[in-house]
Amino acid sequence: MGSMPALPTLIEGADMHDHWRRHREWLSPTLFILPGAAIFGVVIIWSALQSVWISLHDWDGMGPMTWVGLGNFEELFRDDNFYTSLKNNLIWLVVFMLAPPIGLAIALLVNQQIAGMRFLKSLFFVPLVLASVAVGVVFTWLYTPGIGLLAIIFSAFGATAPALLSDERLVTFAVVVAALWPQIAFCMVLYLAGLNGLSEDLIGAGRVDGARGWRMLRHVVLPQLSQVTFIAIAVTAIGALRSFDIVSVMTQGGPFGSSSVLAYMMYEQSIFSYRFGYGAAIATVLFAIMAVFIAWYLQSIYKAERGNG
Amino acid sequence: MYPRPIPQTARAARALYVALVAAILVVWLAPLLAIILTSLRATNDVASGNLWGWPTEFGAVDNYERVFTQSPMARFFLNSLMITIPAVIGVLVLSTLTGFVLAKYRFPGGRAVFAMFIGGNFLPAQIIMIPVRNLMLTLGIYDTHWALIIFHVAFQTGFATLFMRNFIAALPGELFEAARAEGASPFQTLRHVVIPLVRPALGALAILIFTFIWNDYFWAVVLVVNDTVKPVTAGLANLRGEFVSQWNILSAATVVVAVPPVVMFFLMQRHFISGLTAGAVKG
Amino acid sequence: MKSESSRAILSRRTLLKAGAGGLAASTLGGLAAPAIAQPKSITVINDQGNANAVAAFAKIAQDFKAQTGIDVVINNVAHEANKTAIRNYLVAGAPDICFWFSGNRMKAFVKRGLFDDISDLIQHENLSSPLAVTIGSVTVDGKQYGLPMGGTLWGNFYLKDVFEKNNLTPPTTWDETLAYVEKAKSAGLTPFALGTKELWPAAGLFDEFNLRINGLEKHLALMDGKMSYLDPSLTAVFDHWEQLIKGGAFLDNATSYGWQEAGAVLGQKKAGMMNLGNFLSYAIPDASKSSLTFAPFPKIADIGRFEDFSVDSVHIPANAKNKDLARQFLAFFYKPENLAAYLQPTGNISPRSDAPPSDDPLINQALESLKSVQGTSQYYDRDTDPDLAQVGLNGFQEFAAKPERRQQILESLEAARKRIFKA
Repeated sequence: MGSMPALPTLIEGADMHDHWRRHREWLSPTLFILPGAAIFGVVIIWSALQSVWISLHDWDGMGPMTWVGLGNFEELFRDDNFYTSLKNNLIWLVVFMLAPPIGLAIALLVNQQIAGMRFLKSLFFVPLVLASVAVGVVFTWLYTPGIGLLAIIFSAFGATAPALLSDERLVTFAVVVAALWPQIAFCMVLYLAGLNGLSEDLIGAGRVDGARGWRMLRHVVLPQLSQVTFIAIAVTAIGALRSFDIVSVMTQGGPFGSSSVLAYMMYEQSIFSYRFGYGAAIATVLFAIMAVFIAWYLQSIYKAERGNG
Repeated sequence: MYPRPIPQTARAARALYVALVAAILVVWLAPLLAIILTSLRATNDVASGNLWGWPTEFGAVDNYERVFTQSPMARFFLNSLMITIPAVIGVLVLSTLTGFVLAKYRFPGGRAVFAMFIGGNFLPAQIIMIPVRNLMLTLGIYDTHWALIIFHVAFQTGFATLFMRNFIAALPGELFEAARAEGASPFQTLRHVVIPLVRPALGALAILIFTFIWNDYFWAVVLVVNDTVKPVTAGLANLRGEFVSQWNILSAATVVVAVPPVVMFFLMQRHFISGLTAGAVKG
Repeated sequence: MKSESSRAILSRRTLLKAGAGGLAASTLGGLAAPAIAQPKSITVINDQGNANAVAAFAKIAQDFKAQTGIDVVINNVAHEANKTAIRNYLVAGAPDICFWFSGNRMKAFVKRGLFDDISDLIQHENLSSPLAVTIGSVTVDGKQYGLPMGGTLWGNFYLKDVFEKNNLTPPTTWDETLAYVEKAKSAGLTPFALGTKELWPAAGLFDEFNLRINGLEKHLALMDGKMSYLDPSLTAVFDHWEQLIKGGAFLDNATSYGWQEAGAVLGQKKAGMMNLGNFLSYAIPDASKSSLTFAPFPKIADIGRFEDFSVDSVHIPANAKNKDLARQFLAFFYKPENLAAYLQPTGNISPRSDAPPSDDPLINQALESLKSVQGTSQYYDRDTDPDLAQVGLNGFQEFAAKPERRQQILESLEAARKRIFKA
C-alpha cells in the first residue's frame, strides 16, 4: 500500500488546486487503511499463500519439505474420501439454504410490538452466541440412541429413533441440522434488521392497493429485503463450505468418513496423518471453490452500488 | 410495519399471539433448555442414565462449584476477557478506518484490497495453522495473550471491514459532499461524519466479533499452552476430558462459558438490530 | 526403518524377576541443584484428564518444591487437544516436561530431534533394571528418549455380579465365546459393549483377533508395513470377527457411542463384556467398580498368548529451557512411591518392577495376568505409521459396522500401506 502509484480521489471528485490538500487527500486514506491491511495481509494472506506453497510439497509439519509439484492434487482427485467430503459440502450447502427462509419466517413471527415481545425476540437470538463446540455437544447428546431427547420423543409414539450419527446416509443431515440452528438465528437477526428499515410508504401504498399476506410479502416486502437476502445467502453459503467445528465435535467425520467435509478432511490429513502438504492441497481446492462465491459476492456488491448510483 | 401489527385494542389476540410465540420459543430453545436442566442434575442420576426423568436429587450447586474448584476456570475466564476485549477494540478501530477508505475513496487496487479482505475472511482457518504459529514464534509472542489478540484482530478485521464498508457506503452521500464543501480533511470527515454515524454499526459488530472470538477453540489450542494464558473454550475441552460423560458438570461448564456472550448480547441488543438495520437495508 | 530395539518383544517374566530383586529408590543426591542462582521453576504439560491423577501430580510437584525450592508449573491440556498442541509447542515454546505415548508415536518426534536423549538420567538413577521390561518402548537406537509411564493391558472386562446373576462365565475358547454370545443374548444382555465413535476401540478388536490367530510376529510385520493387508492369513481374522458381528454380539449403532458411553452401558448392567483397558473403570459407577474384573481375550489358534500392552511416557523436549531441573524433577517424580501415587487413580500398571504393591485389585489382576503373556504389542495406532493408522482406524470402524465391505476396506488399506511404506 505504501507505494501506491496513483492518487486515490474522493469518489465525488477532489479539489486539485491545493497541493497540501492534494497530498492530504491521498496520504490520510493511505494511513487509515494501512494498519488494517498490513496486519491482515501479513497474518492471514501471507499465511494462506504459504499454505498454497506447502500444497506443492510432501511435508509432515516438522521436518524438511519435499517438492512434489502437483502430486498432492493428482492424488486428491483420485481419492474417494475427497469426493465423499465434496458431496457432503454440497449437502451442507443445499440444506443450509433453509436458514434464510426459516430465519425470515421467525423474524416475521416476532416482528410485533407487544409487551414482552422484545424479550422473547432476544431469546430467539441465543443460539447465535453459543460456541459451536457447545452446540455440537448438545445435539450429539440429543441424538444419542436410547437416552437422547429424540429417542424419548420417538418412544412416546411407540417407535424407535434411528441412530442418526451411525447411519452413513443420515449422519450428514443430522449434523447440518445442528449447525442450522445458530445459522437460522443469524439469518433471523439479519431479517429483523431488514424489516426494521422497511419503507412505510411502500407498505402503505401496497395496503391501499389491497395487497396483504403472501402477496404483500412477495411483491412489496421481499424486493425491499433483497440486499439482506443476498447477505444472508452469501454468509450461509460460505458457512456451509467452511463447516468444521460441529463435524469435529459431533462425528469426527464418522462413521467411517461418511460425514467428513473438506475442512475436516484437511484437518484430519494434516494433524492425524502428518500430511500437511496433502492437507494444504485440500485447502487450496476448498478455497478455489469459495473463490467462486467470493467473486460472485463482490461482483453483486459492486453491481448493486452502481445500480443505486 | 410488516406483518401488519396486531391492533392495541385486540387484547385477547395479542395475549394469544405472545403465548404462541412463547410456545415456539420453547421448542426453538429445547436443546439449550436440556443442557441447563442437565446442569442441575446430580452425578448419580446422570451415571445411572436418568437424564430426562424426574431427578432423585439436585446437584446444581455442586456442579457449578466443581467447575470452578476442580479446574482453573476462573483464570481461564479472566484470560478470555483479557484476549477478547482488546481484540474487539482493535478490530473496531481498524475496520472503521479500512471500511471508511474502501467505501468512500476510489484508488487503484482498491477492489483488490477489498477482495483480499473478503477472500481471507472466508479461508478455512485450520490450514494456516503452521504459518501462523511460525509467525507468532518469529514475533516472540507465541504462548502469550498477544498471540491470540493479534491473530483474532487480523482474522476478524476481514469480516469487520466488509461489514463497515457496506455500512459506510450506505451512509447518505450528501453528508460527505457537505463535509468536502466545508473543506474538511479526510481526518476531519472521519472524526465528525463517519464516527458519529457508525456508532450503531459498531455496537452490532462488537457483539458479533465478541462472540466469534470468545467462542474460538481451535486457535486457543494452537497458539497458547500455558494455563495462565489459556481461554475458557480450551478450559471447557479440558473439563470434557476430566469429567467424561458426567453430562451434568459438562453442561454446567457449557452454561458458564455461554454466559458472557449472552450477557454482552442482552446489554447491547438495542444497538444490535438498529446497527444491522442501517447497514443491511440500504444497498 | 524401524529399529528392533524400540519394539522389543517384552517378556513378562523378566518384569517379575526384576521385581523380586527390586532396587532401592534412588535419591536426589547426585542431581541436587547447585546453590547458585538460576531459574528455579520448570513447566510441565500434563495431558492426563483423570481428576484424581491430576491432584496426585500436583501434590508430587508440591513435595518437590518443599524439598528443592524449585517451582513446578503444571499446565493441563485436554488429552485430545494435546495431540494437536504438541506439534506446535515442541517446535515453538517447549515446556520442560511433557507427556506423550511411547513406541512409534514417540519415535516420530525423536526422528526429528524434538525429544531430549535422557539415557544419562536412566543410568544415573539406575533405572535400567527396574524398567527392564518397558524400557524398550522408549528406546531408539540404544538411547532412551523418555520414561515409560502407566501401562494398560487389554482384555474383556465384565461385572462379576452381572455374570453371577446370569450364570455366565468368561469364555476362554472360541466355542465358548459363541456359546457365551447366545447365553448373554437370551439373558437380555448385549454380549459385548462397543463404542467406536473415537475409532480406536475397533482397532483394538482387530489387534485381539490378529494376535490370537496370527501371533505377535506376523502382527508386528503387518504394523511395520512388511505384510500386505490382502494377505490370506488375515482372512481368518476377519472371518472370526464377522462371525461375532453377524451373531449380534456387539452393541447396535456402535459408531454413535464413545468408549465412555459404551462403558456406561456395561456399568448400567445392560451389556455382558467390553473389550478395553483398565481405564474402563473410569466409566463405571462407583457402586459397581469393585465388581469390575476382566478375562483375557479368548484363545483361538493354538499359539502363545500375546497382548496389547500400551505404555504412555513422559519426555523432556529438546527445546526445553531447564533440562537439568527437568531431570531433577523426573527423578523425583519417578520414585516408586510417587509414581505409584500418580498411577493409582488411572488404573494403569506401573512400569517399574519395584513399584509398591497396589491396593487396586484390577491392577494386581493385570500384573498377575501379565505373567502368562509371552509378548506384547502396544496398540494398533501406536504400532503402525500414524498416517496408515488413520486409514486403518476408519477401516476397522467401517468393518465393525459393515462387514460386507471387507474387500473394499482391505484394498484401500493396502493402497495406503503401499503409499506410506513405498512397498
